[in-house]
Order: sequence, then C-alpha cells, then structure tokens
Amino acid sequence: MVLRDCRPGSHVRLSGLIGSHPQRRRLLELGFIPGAVIQVIGRGAVGGLVVGVDDARLALDARTGGSMVVEPIE
Amino acid sequence: MAVGTRRRPAPCCPPAEAPTAWRDRTGLSARIALVGNPNVGKSTLFNALTGAQQHVGNWPGKTVHVATGTLQLAGAATPAQLIDLPGTYSLVPRSPDEALVRDVLVDRSGSDRLDLVIVVVDAANLARNLYLLAQVLDTGIPVVAALTMLDVAATRGLDLDAGRLGELLGVPVVPVRPRARGGLPKLTDAIERAVATSGRPRRALPIAPLGADIEQALGKLIDRITERSAGLQPVSPRWMALELVAADDGVGPPEAVADLMLQLRPDADRVRADLAGRLAASADGLLAGAAELDDLADTDRADDLDGDIATAVAERRYEWVHHIVAAVVHRPAGQRPTVSDRVDQVLTSRWLGVPIFLAVMWGVFVATTRLATPLQHGLAAVVDGPVSGSVRYLLERVHSDQSWLAGLLLDGLINGVGQLLTFVPLMVVMFALLAVLEDSGYMARGAFVADRFLRLLGLPGRAFLPLIVGFGCNVPAIAGTRILSDARHRLMTSLLVPFVTCSARLTVYVLLANVFFGAHAGTVVFGMYVLSIALVVLIGLALRHSIFRHHPREPLVLELPPYRMPTPSVVGRQTWQRTKGFLRTASGIIVVTVTAVWLLMSIPLAGATGGFGHVDVEHSQYGGVSRVVSPVFAPAGFDDWHATGALVTGFVAKEAVVSTFAQTYRAQQPGDLHRAGDLGTQLRASFDRASGGHAVPAVLAFMVFLLAYTPCMATVAAQRAEIGGRWTAFGIGMQLTVAWVLAVVVFQVGRLLT
Repeated sequence: MVLRDCRPGSHVRLSGLIGSHPQRRRLLELGFIPGAVIQVIGRGAVGGLVVGVDDARLALDARTGGSMVVEPIE
Repeated sequence: MAVGTRRRPAPCCPPAEAPTAWRDRTGLSARIALVGNPNVGKSTLFNALTGAQQHVGNWPGKTVHVATGTLQLAGAATPAQLIDLPGTYSLVPRSPDEALVRDVLVDRSGSDRLDLVIVVVDAANLARNLYLLAQVLDTGIPVVAALTMLDVAATRGLDLDAGRLGELLGVPVVPVRPRARGGLPKLTDAIERAVATSGRPRRALPIAPLGADIEQALGKLIDRITERSAGLQPVSPRWMALELVAADDGVGPPEAVADLMLQLRPDADRVRADLAGRLAASADGLLAGAAELDDLADTDRADDLDGDIATAVAERRYEWVHHIVAAVVHRPAGQRPTVSDRVDQVLTSRWLGVPIFLAVMWGVFVATTRLATPLQHGLAAVVDGPVSGSVRYLLERVHSDQSWLAGLLLDGLINGVGQLLTFVPLMVVMFALLAVLEDSGYMARGAFVADRFLRLLGLPGRAFLPLIVGFGCNVPAIAGTRILSDARHRLMTSLLVPFVTCSARLTVYVLLANVFFGAHAGTVVFGMYVLSIALVVLIGLALRHSIFRHHPREPLVLELPPYRMPTPSVVGRQTWQRTKGFLRTASGIIVVTVTAVWLLMSIPLAGATGGFGHVDVEHSQYGGVSRVVSPVFAPAGFDDWHATGALVTGFVAKEAVVSTFAQTYRAQQPGDLHRAGDLGTQLRASFDRASGGHAVPAVLAFMVFLLAYTPCMATVAAQRAEIGGRWTAFGIGMQLTVAWVLAVVVFQVGRLLT
C-alpha cells in the first residue's frame, strides 16, 4: 500500500521510498525514514496530502504520496 | 561574570590554524552565521540580535538574498559580523540558496571563514531540527544552539529539558523567545564564550556518530584527506569524507574543494564499495525492505549504491537524533489533534481549499488596489500642491519662474519624484499583506493548494501571489517575487509578471473601447484580461520548454508551520525593509526617465517656432522621435505619430498614455473616459487614416501591443533590482517582440475579416 491510498485520520508506518536517489534523500532528511510513523491529516483538491511526521506537518503532492510504501498500524 | 574570561586568545598564543585570519577581516572581531530550518524564527532572532545594524542584499556573485549585521560582544574591541543565511533542511543542497549555506559553512580556507554557527532549533519540531544540527557539527565549526518555539511546544503539552539537551549534544543550548527578546542576554553570553575559545588549539568537537561501519569508512578517508591536503585542510575532513562516501546530488561540491575531491575519488570509490557490502551484509534499514520494493520500483539500479549509503547515513543520523529526543522530551499520553491541524482540515480540504485560496488572493488584490488609492491621491496632492507650490513661489522670488530651471524642477524632477511616491503606498500595502500571510502561516497552505496549477509552468504554488498582485500593479508584484526562495523561480515569475495587465493599462482600454466599440466596450475590455492570462500561460510554457528546460522538476514537499497570530513588529519590519529596498533601487531610474521625457518635450525641432520649453508637442524632439519610430507600426495598422507618442510615454508610465493623447491632439483630457468627446473624434480619424480604413483591427492591434509591451519604467527598475540588468534587458526585448508580432497578427487577420 502507498501513502496516497490512506484515509485521513489514519496512522501508518513507512516501509520504504520509491524514486530517484536525490528525491529519496530529501524525503529521508525530512524524517521519512523507514519505520517512521506517519499520520495522515488531510487530503487536498488534486490528490495532495497533509501528513504529520515526527512533530512536523508537511504537504505532499500526489506523486510523492504515491512514492511512499507504508503498512497500517494496528 | 568577569569580562576577562571571555576575552579572545591573547596574541601570545595564536590559534593553531590560520593564525591571524580573524584579525584581518576589516575590523570585525568574528564571523558568526545563523543557520536553521525555514520558519523557526531565525530571521526574527537575527533582527533581535542586530537591531538596526544590518544590511540586506545579494551575496557577492550570487542571486541569493542574505542579511548581514553586527553584534558587539563584550571583551572584543570591534563588533562581530552576524550573517543570516537562508533557511535550509539539509547541508546536502537542492537549490542555489541551500548551496550557499553549505558553501559558507564548509569553506574554511579564506579569511572569511566562520568562527561560530548559531543553529536555531525549533523546540516544537525537535527531531528534524537536530538532524540539521548534526550536519552542522560535521563541518567542524563550533556550534551554539538557540532553542525557539518553546511556547508552541508547551501548547502541545511537550515538556523539554534544555539543560539535558545541551549535555547530550555537547553544545551550549539557550532557550530564546526572539519575538519578545527573551533569553537574548544568555544567548549573547554563550556566543561570547564560544567565540573566545573557537580560535584555541582544537579540542575534540562533538559529532553525531553514524555507527561503527560508517565511522570506520569515514576514518579511512579522513586519513587519506589529511595526507593529500598536507595539513592545509580547507574544509573539515569529516565533512569531506561524508561528502565523498554519500555522494552529492548534482549541485556539485564547493569550488574551494572540487579539485581535492576529484583527486580522492578513486579512494572514495573503494571505500564506498566496501561499505555498501557491509551494509548489505548487516541487512539493516531500508535494504531489508528493498527486495519487496523491487516489484514496485522502477529505480535505476545504477544509483542504488549511492542511494543505499545515503539512506544509511540519514537513518543513522536520525537514530542519534531520536535517541536524544526521547531523552529530553516528555510527551503527554494520548495526543489530541492540535488547533492548527483542525484549521488545516478546512483550509486545505478537497472542497474548500481552492475557493478559500481564491478568496484570499482576491482579498490581497482588492486591498493592494483599493487601500492604496486614497494614500496615492493624498501623496499626489501633496506633491502637486504644497511641494510644487512652494518651489514655484521660490522660483518667482528669484524671477526665474519662466526659465528652463522651473521646467526642469517642476515638470522634470518633482514630477518624477511624485510618480515614484505614488508607488510607495502600493508597495507598503502589498508588502504588509505578504508579511501577514507569511507570518500567519497561510502562505504555505496557499502554496500547497495552488501548486498543481502552477506546476504546469514549472513554478511553485507561491508564485500565484505575485501574478495576482500584478493585476493591480506590476511593480509590487515583481518585488513580491521575493517570497520565492529559489532564484530561478524568482527570475521566471519576474519575466511573466509584465504580461499581467495592470490597472494603469485598464484606463487606456476603457477610453479606446468606448470610442471604438460603444456598447461592446465591456466585452472588449474583458477580452484584454482573458488575453493577458493566456499570454502568461503560453509564455510561461514557452520559457519552461526553452530557457528553463533544464530546471529540475521538484516534487512538492512543503512544510506547513503552525498557524499563529502575525506580530505587528515582524510585519512592520519586513514591510519597511522591503519598501526601503525598492526605493533605493528604483528611485534613480524613474526620476531620470521622467526628466528625460520632459527634456524631449521641451527641446524644439530645428526650424520650429518657440524656444526651449515653449514648443508644442508636435514640434518638439518628442514629436520628432515619435514620427521616426512610427513606421515600425505600419504593419500593425497604426503608423501615426500620436499613437506612437502615446506608446513612448506608456513605456515610462501607462498612467500617462491618456494624457499624452490629450496633449498631442491638443484636446481637453476627458474627465469621464466613457465620454471621450472631441478626443474620441480625433482618435477615430487618425486610426482610420493610419490603417487605410480598417480602424477597428488597428485599434485592437494597438490595445494588444499596449497589453504586451513593457509596462512602465518602475517595473523595469523593480526587475533590475530583482533579476539584474541583463535579464531585465532580455525581458524588455521579449515583451517588445511578443507585443509587435501579436499586434501585426491581430491587424492583418482583422483586416481580412472586416
């Protein structure tokens, strides 16, 4: 499952990132490291996402949301 | 505290490396940089520390805005320099702004190397902020951490132990409240102590360890670097080893070390291959999950070696960070959603996000035009009334009120200054609104909502704002491109803004549309707005696929800072600084051009009746120039010196086009643009004559030209300030070409149809 498919309000755990190396690297540096807990806060008009990671709030576009492989947390 | 303990090292025991460097810096006792993530209160802290002693401008040789100021430290004979570097999330740069931060931190070779870095750390977002701090530690410069946003952390129920944080990091940590100037004496104390000891023979500086395998690999490279650089060490060996192992991402290494890095490449490749093997064997982190990702990913395997090591480095750094965060932050059980999150669920939501965004943009547009108008009228009244009046009175006293001096002063200089001043209210209102939007946190949300649409042009969502403001006036719009952090985005937006039809152009549309189209005037004016938007999109696409085609297409990953009440001091200071910057760069150009036009209108052509300053427009140099330029517009159907003359003044200011028409036809300037009267009759006659009976396509061509060519000298001045002379010249060339081609097409096609 990728982050883009997650419902607002859900919490998921990041298993990995797809994409070119430089893009992955910036996401990693922003805290999207494997094992990080991501909180899906909202969804914008054209597939963008507002998520929480660590204590930060970040807006992602649909493509970035589709590049994050996640698993649900029970 | 005794001052003596903070004194710089005495001349008897000079620092080990670069013995006198810090004393050679033209009277500065030390160089200190502020580094931090965006939105952590870094610039507010900078302002609180430096007060009025600061200068904002481009970094030498770069188009990156950097503020520098001075700070008097106790025990130092001269002030220290404080540099407010652009906000960044990482020292592995992805943009020119971020590259500058890295270069300033990393380059230790010149006399302008740093003595200290103040890392501004957001307490409400500790993990990601400490990640950057860990990278700064790798550069080998002494660090003091200023901890901000403790109040925000407290409202979320986070309890943070600053003392313990300092112990674990190994650097002084000082809680500050820059908006209320809280904690500044303690921070200054910590800075003084750190600067005093920074030149001493190096004791081990703290680092963020990255685990045995990576540290071992770094160790090998550090040895090679030390051998190769023969003790000169232009950069921190640890930073360079990390750069070699985890490979840079395309921006390239700092110039100072590029050669050395190239020499070390073979060593680095061996170490990297070895390290990648070890990491794979230990199968930790992302590599464990890599197999299951393979079927999803179309990743190029070639860069996976780099990717895996970079991932491991980032992961290990975060491991260190999370370990520290867990030890110093106490969280309440069961977290409630914050107010900010609940507001975001509305403001960025699927259905309401776009309408709210458009409403905010409309508000900014209306405010810049409407709020500023009374102020503009007020200023104009002062310039036309008391100021001109007293100058005229003084001239009468010395009996030179009819002389060229009177003309130069009243119609040239004072008129020019008056035109400049009418822009000031626009700029102030616009800059204040920008500051409110930025300070409140909405700007980031707006950027998120608009991102999808502007991405088509290769611009970030924030670029929407200057483009909208452009409908009011292009001048503040171009100055407003400063909200874009990337110089390439600023450049492209600045080139597009002139095609946004401003309110000054509207006056000309209304006059001409009423004269030539009567009942359909409204439709024609509306059509000009549609054409303006189409031009922005088409030229944006053209630029993106030509000049800007090599720009990386960045995915959107945008931090949303918590909402907060904008503070008057922050908004006021930013408005003042930006307005001051505009006046400094734009004033000369505007006053000189207005004076030049006056001069042309005053000098009679050879053989004309009337002396200097007493000639009518037709027989002045101005009329002469207009007649020379005029044939250029023959293919567009308006080869007529009245029309060309109006376009020439329009180059200076579109507000002056209607009055130039009136002047050249010697008609009364219509008080109501909808009833042009005598002027209307004369306009119809000359367009009819110039176009050979096709007045309607000719006047449309004229309006299209007026829409697309250079808006005014003030816009040119603003562009020069933002993107430099060469790009401004390119922009003018592009505007004139586009305008002329469009006008010719409109007239030629229109002539066939009518």
